[in-house]
Amino acid sequence: MMIRPTEAQHKQWEEEGYLVFENAIEGDELRRLQKAFDYWAEKCKPEWIERLEAGEATATFYDIPNVLEKDEVFVDIVDCPSYYGSLMAFTDDDLIFLAPQVRMVPPWPLSYTGWHPDVARTNPLHIKVQIYVNDVEPGCGEFAFVPGSHKPNVGPYSRPKWQESMPGHKTLPGKAGTAIMFNTYGWHTAMDNHSDTPRKSIILIYEKRTPGRVDAKRFASIAHYCTTPQRRKLFSLEEE
Amino acid sequence: MPRIDAHLHVFAKASSEFPRETNEIYPADREEPVEKLMIEMEAHQIDQAVLVQIGGTCIAHHTYLLHCLKTYSDRFLGIGLIPADTPDPEAHMDELTDGTGIIGFRLSSIGGPKDPFAQVDIREFKTYRIWRHAAEKDYVLWLYPRAIDAHLIAYLVDAFPQVRVVLNHLGICPGKGKFSWDAKGRPHIETPSYNPAFHTTYRLSRYENVAVHLSGQYAFSSEAFPYRDLAGWHRSLLTSYGSKRLMWATDFPWILEDPGYGVLTNVFKELLPNLSEDEYGDIMGGTAKRFLRFPERGNN
Repeated sequence: MMIRPTEAQHKQWEEEGYLVFENAIEGDELRRLQKAFDYWAEKCKPEWIERLEAGEATATFYDIPNVLEKDEVFVDIVDCPSYYGSLMAFTDDDLIFLAPQVRMVPPWPLSYTGWHPDVARTNPLHIKVQIYVNDVEPGCGEFAFVPGSHKPNVGPYSRPKWQESMPGHKTLPGKAGTAIMFNTYGWHTAMDNHSDTPRKSIILIYEKRTPGRVDAKRFASIAHYCTTPQRRKLFSLEEE
Repeated sequence: MPRIDAHLHVFAKASSEFPRETNEIYPADREEPVEKLMIEMEAHQIDQAVLVQIGGTCIAHHTYLLHCLKTYSDRFLGIGLIPADTPDPEAHMDELTDGTGIIGFRLSSIGGPKDPFAQVDIREFKTYRIWRHAAEKDYVLWLYPRAIDAHLIAYLVDAFPQVRVVLNHLGICPGKGKFSWDAKGRPHIETPSYNPAFHTTYRLSRYENVAVHLSGQYAFSSEAFPYRDLAGWHRSLLTSYGSKRLMWATDFPWILEDPGYGVLTNVFKELLPNLSEDEYGDIMGGTAKRFLRFPERGNN
């Protein structure tokens, strides 16, 4: 099933560079996701602490490694109907998946990242979907975006010292299951987390297809989850 | 604008006059005296320097450092050490700073929970009393913490905005088991190409009371001088901290043989070739003079 974007969503995507899908994942599917997230986050934490102590990892967040192989739910959210139709529409139905970042972010006096765009405009359209796995209240490390900053001939933008000093930014707190899709040419960040609650989120990274961008071997280990032509194409398991 | 070497070490032969700890790298009969340093400084137009204690943490071990600071009071400021097990760090800090030229203390650990998800109460950190006393007495804290402590610094800097903090050696925090001495008798820190400090040191730039040393390149680089693999990190620090919170330092005496003191005075011509004259002046001494409050040079 694929839900295509409405005219209003099309307009917001073009003009502002982001969309919010409340309850994108809900009910049993959300509980399944939360359970898998918590299980693997806990399981992978000791190794992260070891790498942290060895100076090989940062303390400000950690990602669950090789997560697609760990639970099918992480594969299922890649083409979740709530936003998959929009991803397809914005890439002329020629979408590839690049990587997931299943991320635990501990509270810290500072945000774990500053304002930034991800890629230059010379890069093919590059889209991320950030999914909140727990409720992310205002002031709890919520995602923020500068609407319109994805467009050419705007700015120049620079990184302010304080997150809230970014001109024109919009903070996007949300309930668990909220998905935020954004054009990564645009400036974005995580706001400071003034609570004692970690932020649990998943960042899915997509791009408009270019030949050879993803090696067919990259997702070979999850080929058994990819039984439809659409999904095989999304995961670059076969080139058209 | 003075040119200031913002971090180095001098030591005398171990003696009853100048007691110190010894090890394979600085055995009892090795000396790297301040006069040897001053010859290098003179030859390369370096006006002043920060002498950082080495060879022990107790008061007696600081005797040579105190001697140097007293003898050349307008040329040097000092950074002391604090015994990890002292029951009274405040008294130790006050005794060493009482009109001596020692302006602060170097810490190699923070002493908080190693799990970043643990509840944090800074009053339970082992170094909390040191930070609190530094805030009360305006002492500088000189940080070269382990990787496991890197995330804890923000809590303390946030709580004590009046404490001037200097992150040593590019703000890199060595990982456990990654320290060794190389064949030239220099510290070597095995550092991954993806530097985790990007996420901690870099973010600390928000705090105006934090400055960073541009030093120790030889210990982290996998290349010979001019350590081009670290150029990106230098640029990042310049972008985030700005030249007014960056300080050049040599880490004398470890660099005397390779690459040499004079060579290091030109390291930014290689690593930060686009610095403006003002930025260069800041990093080579202006920042240290202002941030550490160096005295004007006299005639002694």
